[in-house]
Amino acid sequence: MKTHTKATFPGGVHPPECKQYSQSNVIEIVPVPKQVTVLLSQHLGASCKPVVSKKEAVRVGQKIGASDAFVSAAVHSPVAGAVKDIVLAPHPVLGRTMAVVIDADAQSEPKKPCADKFDSKFSPDKWSVQQICSAIQDAGIVGMGGAGFPTRVKIEPNPAMPKEILIVNGCECEPFLTCDYRVMLEWTWQVLAGVRLAAKAADVDKIRIGIEDNKPDAIEVFSQAIQSCTDLDIQVVPVKTKYPQGGERQLIRAVWNKTVPTNSIPPVIGVVVVNVATAAAIAEAVVLGQPLTHRVVSVTGRAIAKPGNYYCPVGMSIQELIDHCGGLTESAAKVVLGGPMMGFAIADLSMPLTKTSGGLTFLTREEVTEAKFKHQQTTCIRCGRCISACPENLNPTRIAHAVKHNRLDLAQQYFMSGCTECGACSYICPAHIELTGYIKTGKLLVARAKKKA
Amino acid sequence: MLSKITVSPAPHISQPLSTRRVMLDVLIGLAFPVAAALWFFRQYAEILLVSSVASCLVSEWICDLIRRKPNSLGNLSAVVTGVILALSLPPAVPWWVAVIGGAFAIVIVKMLFGGLGHNIFNPAMAARVFLTASFGVLMTTWTVPATMQNEGLKTISASNTQAITQATTLAWSKAALKGQTDAKQVNPLVKLSFLGNEGGCLGETSVLAILLGGLYMLIRKTIMWRIPFAVLVSATAVAAVGWLAKPDVYVNPLLHLVGGGLMLGAFFIATDPVTSPLTAKGEWIFGIGVGALIMLIRIVGEYPEGVMYAVLIMNALTPLIDRFCTLVPAGGKPNVNV
Repeated sequence: MKTHTKATFPGGVHPPECKQYSQSNVIEIVPVPKQVTVLLSQHLGASCKPVVSKKEAVRVGQKIGASDAFVSAAVHSPVAGAVKDIVLAPHPVLGRTMAVVIDADAQSEPKKPCADKFDSKFSPDKWSVQQICSAIQDAGIVGMGGAGFPTRVKIEPNPAMPKEILIVNGCECEPFLTCDYRVMLEWTWQVLAGVRLAAKAADVDKIRIGIEDNKPDAIEVFSQAIQSCTDLDIQVVPVKTKYPQGGERQLIRAVWNKTVPTNSIPPVIGVVVVNVATAAAIAEAVVLGQPLTHRVVSVTGRAIAKPGNYYCPVGMSIQELIDHCGGLTESAAKVVLGGPMMGFAIADLSMPLTKTSGGLTFLTREEVTEAKFKHQQTTCIRCGRCISACPENLNPTRIAHAVKHNRLDLAQQYFMSGCTECGACSYICPAHIELTGYIKTGKLLVARAKKKA
Repeated sequence: MLSKITVSPAPHISQPLSTRRVMLDVLIGLAFPVAAALWFFRQYAEILLVSSVASCLVSEWICDLIRRKPNSLGNLSAVVTGVILALSLPPAVPWWVAVIGGAFAIVIVKMLFGGLGHNIFNPAMAARVFLTASFGVLMTTWTVPATMQNEGLKTISASNTQAITQATTLAWSKAALKGQTDAKQVNPLVKLSFLGNEGGCLGETSVLAILLGGLYMLIRKTIMWRIPFAVLVSATAVAAVGWLAKPDVYVNPLLHLVGGGLMLGAFFIATDPVTSPLTAKGEWIFGIGVGALIMLIRIVGEYPEGVMYAVLIMNALTPLIDRFCTLVPAGGKPNVNV
């Protein structure tokens, strides 16, 4: 790696960062909601089956859903209360899935973050690799950066694919979102403890913490903190602020200068990537035995009255969080679960938060840009900006137009499967063509056709 | 409150450019050679610019009505075509020639192929070829700028190369090639050609203005540097071969760079995104092809100028170039058929 230029990846775009709405807000605990709807599918892999029944009383942290499948993660109750029902509920990607609805006990105290239980003296020596992996599995930890991949499956040692480096993802490249940033600043020792536990479980000897250079204080805080890890090969790597630097393929390229083969996973080249919030959850699960039931959600944008970073229980509805934050403003045009580049626009505000809900971005009409609001797409003028922006070196316009004309074979010839749906192409397109939308549709159609076959 | 929020696929934000803004940036870049044309050729420039642009706008408007599509004049692409067509015409061409050219460019070359984004050939260049074929004498009569010799505009025909001080730079080059004059005597015209004090088409005479316009577009990222660079370098290389071999027959490559439509072609015509390849590798091949063909036509072919033919030939090859210059994903080709 050159020392005079910042580590980065080819392609990418520079949307306005807009972090100022919530970056200075200390993590705030929200009161216990009256009811939570815990989705039984909050992860990649097999959906959970409920292990509780209607009217059953539950404690905070009690397992309420589990699956026998290898790639899966259990779900636990974030509140003390009683199971009201087990029904279909809205899901941002799957439309609707089964969920356990729990009425919380009146007057219950919200669960608090446990960052104060960690400090520089932490050592992972007390726990074996097996114990760490079991704790992660029992706690139902999934990738909290958004993908929701079951963490134990990712981390546990695999003799067929030995890992040599753990890369910690502190980039948070989406505009507006600041949840990972606040976690890095306020829960530093907890994150570091989780990192060390994950490194031990994965049996790696190198750790690199990637942080975008628009967060200099986070870089500073971690650079100081890792000085306590004298026995480890651990470094903080500041990376150039560019979207989508936080995508794991791009992060690996920037920090480790290697590329994960298309349609493959990082362990194939000996890398495992873990988000900072996931690392914090690992620490809580292993050291304190507490399952993943809460997370920091970044409520941000100009269309919400009181933006901030809120420690919320999973299962809390978006509407309830909106109400807690003062409600939508007059100019609200879009409610996005996630960030503005890859998040899902939500119509049904009763949708519950999940383990992967890192943020809610409330966009005003001006921010959405008139052309997108009115879905005004004009003709492709073959300017090539999308090609320059694509971090995977694909040809977004050709893929999108192949899908548009129902030529899925042609779309696959242009390597549609290599697309990570980051949205950089649609962002940069002067004709405002829904390139990412077409590509997502194309991938879905191909998957459906395969299932039928 | 709920009725005001909307749902659509991610991403939910986009950068502020629109197609219209991109075209506007091209027009701002063109403003420099347009200003030079007005300065050197006065009323001839005014007449042709207005006729050409008006003809393009009206033609597109009528085509939109016939196709029952929404009015597309707002994206300014017809204005760009009109201006480029006007700049590529000799100054003394009658206004109705520009009108016919504009209509041909929009209706036949652009609209019949599907409208903006779907045409294979550069509308302005195809129209210019059509006009050259249809009105040969009118299209090869050159006018000297008003600023030369204070005698007002003088018209000279291309066949009369004996009028020594008043022909175009390229006519001189052709004369040198045919042995009618010594190339070494022609070379000093470089300085005049750079500033624009020479005969030629409306927009091509002032290389300084074209460079300024090109610089604006490069800064705004309206065009990328690859195509202009490739065109100029390959043209220089081909010209240099002749010049180094026989300097009294082949003129200095610098003269070829500043003479004729090469600069205008490199920055404003070959860079048309619709009719040039999509990928970087394709753009290089396209630019090298355009530059080399312009020079081959000028030196080996019968015509003194080759920009329009070179561009059209490379336009025809663009779909083939795109087909062969495909991108390999960053992670390599996928192993499994997904």
